[in-house]
Amino acid sequence: MQAAAEADEEELEPLFDYSRVQPTMAFSFDDTDIEKSDIFVHCNKRRKVADGDGDANADEKGDKGEQKAAAGAKAAAVVDLGEEDWLPPPPPPKPKSTVTDELEQSSVLKELRLQKQAMAKFAESADDFLEKLAQTARQKVEARIPTEHIDLDKSPERHEAREKVVVTVQDKAGHHQFRLYKDEKFGKLFRAYAKKVNLSVADLTFAFDGDKVDAESTPEDLGLEDEDMVEVLHKTR
Amino acid sequence: MSGGIARGRLAEERKAWRKNHPHGFVAKPETMADGSANLMIWHCTIPGKQGTDWEGGYYPLTLHFSEDYPSKPPKCKFPQGFFHPNVYPSGTVCLSILNEDSGWRPAITVKQILVGIQDLLDQPNPADPAQTDGYHIFIQDKPEYKRRVRVQAKQYPALL
Repeated sequence: MQAAAEADEEELEPLFDYSRVQPTMAFSFDDTDIEKSDIFVHCNKRRKVADGDGDANADEKGDKGEQKAAAGAKAAAVVDLGEEDWLPPPPPPKPKSTVTDELEQSSVLKELRLQKQAMAKFAESADDFLEKLAQTARQKVEARIPTEHIDLDKSPERHEAREKVVVTVQDKAGHHQFRLYKDEKFGKLFRAYAKKVNLSVADLTFAFDGDKVDAESTPEDLGLEDEDMVEVLHKTR
Repeated sequence: MSGGIARGRLAEERKAWRKNHPHGFVAKPETMADGSANLMIWHCTIPGKQGTDWEGGYYPLTLHFSEDYPSKPPKCKFPQGFFHPNVYPSGTVCLSILNEDSGWRPAITVKQILVGIQDLLDQPNPADPAQTDGYHIFIQDKPEYKRRVRVQAKQYPALL
């Protein structure tokens, strides 16, 4: 990690290190000595050069004067304006980038980079966690739905209005699960099951709690709950 | 207090039964006059095992649970006069797992009770007779015993 950080630093260095070009430049936000600071000396020098451009800049110069009079934080804005108005010759003096000294800058950058890496790792682990969560959720849902699962109504309309119920149909061979609306007649389930086992509905008897289930009745009529078991008897023997 | 335990357990038993139970068996709490369920009395049906003389019969059995359930087993009753060596004339089933002093454990489920009684039908225990008729015929006249069992199976046809 350390090596990587250093490599980054080396790459980035030319972008920020203007000390070689402007070795004497220093900048301070301190109100009192801002006027005397080198940066203004520098700006004034350049302004003198720019004065030759003509009166077009007169208004802006006036603005500058006012802003200069205003103390404190505005000083930085003044500096910025000057830089914009008086397009500097290369190399561009960027007072802002030299605000902090090199050591501080590098340590802060290092810290920032470390923080960035930590954040990236955190984000990654969060992603992993979410992925895992989604996976387990999917597995749970899949586990809850057995292999034999038939949705009796494929029409999507009115889905939220009508409650559905999963009914387990048990025959001698095993279980089949069907999903139907609570207010839907059992006849539909009977036909679906009969089709599945290649028998006629007439040869089948369905029972819940030992009572015959009428094809005209609905799960609601019988108070059926999810995954309640309905038994089927084959009449032909 | 114990009544709460019994009812709680029975509610769980009922829930589990609705979701899964052996084919052909029925077990449901009695319905009271007002339509609510009485969890202390269950009406059950035990199908005779396939390939035995009991096949084709669907034998009604009533489970009577006490407030001490599941510390104590339920009393299991066939109709009065039920023909079987281990059934008392009153219809009460005599089976080790239903005896508080021998085989009963609170963990035994309703499903296990009913399957246990289904097994007992075709495998009577001559060491523990509960009625003279069934016991004597079973010991002395096996063909007559089988005939009686098959006659009884016809008396309890499928209700559907």
